[in-house]
Amino acid sequence: MSNTTQGRDDAVDFSPADVLIIGAGASGATAAWSLTDTRMRIVCLEQGGWNNPQAYPTAGRDWEARGQADFSINPNRRQLRGDYPVNDDDCPIKIANYNGVGGGTVLYAGHYPRFHPSDFRVKSLDGVADDWPIDYEMLEPYYAENDRQTGVSGLAGDPAYPAKQSVMPPLPMGKSGQTLAAGFNQMGWHWWPSDSAIATQPYNGRDKCINLGNCIHGCAQGAKASTDITYWPEAIRAGVELRTWCRVKEITLGEDGLANGVVYFDENSEEQFQPAHIVIMACNGVGTPRILLNSVSDRFPNGLANGSGLVGKNLMLHPYASIQGLFEEALDGHHGPHDSLWSQEFYETDERRGFVRGFTYEFNRGRGPVATALTGAFSGRIPWGDGHHAAFRKLHNRLTGVVAICEDLPEEHNTVTLDPHLKDAHGIPAPKMTYTISDNSQRMLDFSVARASEAIRAAGAYDLLIESPLSVGGWHLMGTARMGADPERSVVNEWGRSHDVKNLFIIDGSIFVTSAGVNPTRTIQTLALYIADQMKKRLANLFD
Amino acid sequence: MQNTIASDHPLTPEEQALLRTLAGLIVPASEEFDVPGADDPTIFADILQSAVAQQAEVKAALEYAAGLDGHPAAHVETLQMSEVVAPVVALVMQCYYRADAVLVSLGMEPRPPYPEGYEVEQGDWSMLEAVQQRGKIWRDV
Repeated sequence: MSNTTQGRDDAVDFSPADVLIIGAGASGATAAWSLTDTRMRIVCLEQGGWNNPQAYPTAGRDWEARGQADFSINPNRRQLRGDYPVNDDDCPIKIANYNGVGGGTVLYAGHYPRFHPSDFRVKSLDGVADDWPIDYEMLEPYYAENDRQTGVSGLAGDPAYPAKQSVMPPLPMGKSGQTLAAGFNQMGWHWWPSDSAIATQPYNGRDKCINLGNCIHGCAQGAKASTDITYWPEAIRAGVELRTWCRVKEITLGEDGLANGVVYFDENSEEQFQPAHIVIMACNGVGTPRILLNSVSDRFPNGLANGSGLVGKNLMLHPYASIQGLFEEALDGHHGPHDSLWSQEFYETDERRGFVRGFTYEFNRGRGPVATALTGAFSGRIPWGDGHHAAFRKLHNRLTGVVAICEDLPEEHNTVTLDPHLKDAHGIPAPKMTYTISDNSQRMLDFSVARASEAIRAAGAYDLLIESPLSVGGWHLMGTARMGADPERSVVNEWGRSHDVKNLFIIDGSIFVTSAGVNPTRTIQTLALYIADQMKKRLANLFD
Repeated sequence: MQNTIASDHPLTPEEQALLRTLAGLIVPASEEFDVPGADDPTIFADILQSAVAQQAEVKAALEYAAGLDGHPAAHVETLQMSEVVAPVVALVMQCYYRADAVLVSLGMEPRPPYPEGYEVEQGDWSMLEAVQQRGKIWRDV
């Protein structure tokens, strides 16, 4: 263990922080904002930097190319200063994340569903995995608080959910949404306007969506609720110190068995030590186990807070299937947010389908001309040579469909470990993802493809493009430091505190017990608010 | 062609010439659609400039193409199926489909999405009535 303080910058306050948060993404920003109530000294270390939204790809003519380069969802392709490599060779679903202020919310689509009540009771209801030690009813007030702070658009009355209010009107259906909805109506299936973390009206200093599209490579308009423009400005105004370009190497442990700070590399790549009374991990399902496994000591030779042996295990990813239809008439193309509608017709378990649990269909819009050309070229629909232009025009603005977000159940053999060879720019061992798609998930994927094909054909598609599983879709990183009441079967307790280290908290997707069949960010942020609130209620005896 | 071959480019003049040949094979000019080919001087200059950031992948593709006997036009079937050549296809498409003349021919405005944005129609929300009539579908716990 090292406590090096060489190269210390006198402008930085290295006195002990009351709370040290690692990671400035979805959960770190949310918890920092919530904890400002306490007037404690809060420091957050973020390995990436700030973005200028007006420099996002949609502000330039090369917007589609940049989505595959410096704003790629894959850090191994992006390779920016804030990124670290991830070995995903043994994973059929490739890593997708973002390292910088706002974290994954910078590049997410803003598709923003809640979990359902049944998602917290999968063992009781379906006899698989484990129940969560908390439930929907306990989290509901925190969902509502996060919705207000984030600014969620949608439409109240969705029959797939208990009653919930929307903060703003829904995103437009557009031609693509209306076309697909007609197909789902023909099948007699559920669909509804998606809850989206995208402002459809001016909201808390953010302007409304102007349908730039390309949301997953940053929102130049600032309508999408990434935490760099939602929680962080308020948290910083309330006194939180956010240090960027600071990559944590390890969490250190005192003789009393409590975490006493972190060793990190600062913006000049100098190794520093920041002492702290409370450490909060907010690096999500790959970054959090990576740091814990890199934090070894005599007491925790297999990684900090790893008495259960479950740090890095039970990785869940949400296998996606993409089912896109080709239509004769022109649709929306790349105009408009990716989000529009969802269907949860097949969300709740029906074992007659051949699997347990379920999935959400997230309706897409279309693609830009470059993506259309590449889709056509690599699927054999657009040839080289004289036939190119006519074939391109058959696809241009005529492609739309859905992706299925399939619930992934925890399995201990799906892991994040430390790669024995791969290291980041600071020499810190990099993570390795090892993952296989379960039989249950595969049956769910197959079912989702078959049913979506029916609905999209019913909507008028004359041909389909199918990719299952979606190889690029490792956006949702969950389960690798799971929550539970039993210290032998979980890493943190029911309010996010490590069973083993009483001043170490985890608030990101790694604490998920199960994954549900929806995008996780809204629940990650809700859990961060819930855990921060539990901490505030227990400040007098937090470490007991 | 001379005006688009740069001597300080990481691709050799021979590689640049082959890249231009491939660009013209992938997307040729069309009188019918009134569009230039990807080997058009303006578009190819963009391709060359963009190739710098992807030079390793592009060089590998060009090496593969150069290893085929005869003119690349004789091997279009092979080339368009090749994963090694795929980065060149991506490079050509990303530059071709942002060129003014091409976008205009497609009825698109040659501008970035931001700051003007786009109009997207609301759609017919009355279509939801069929869904609402079914009632609750979430599971009690």
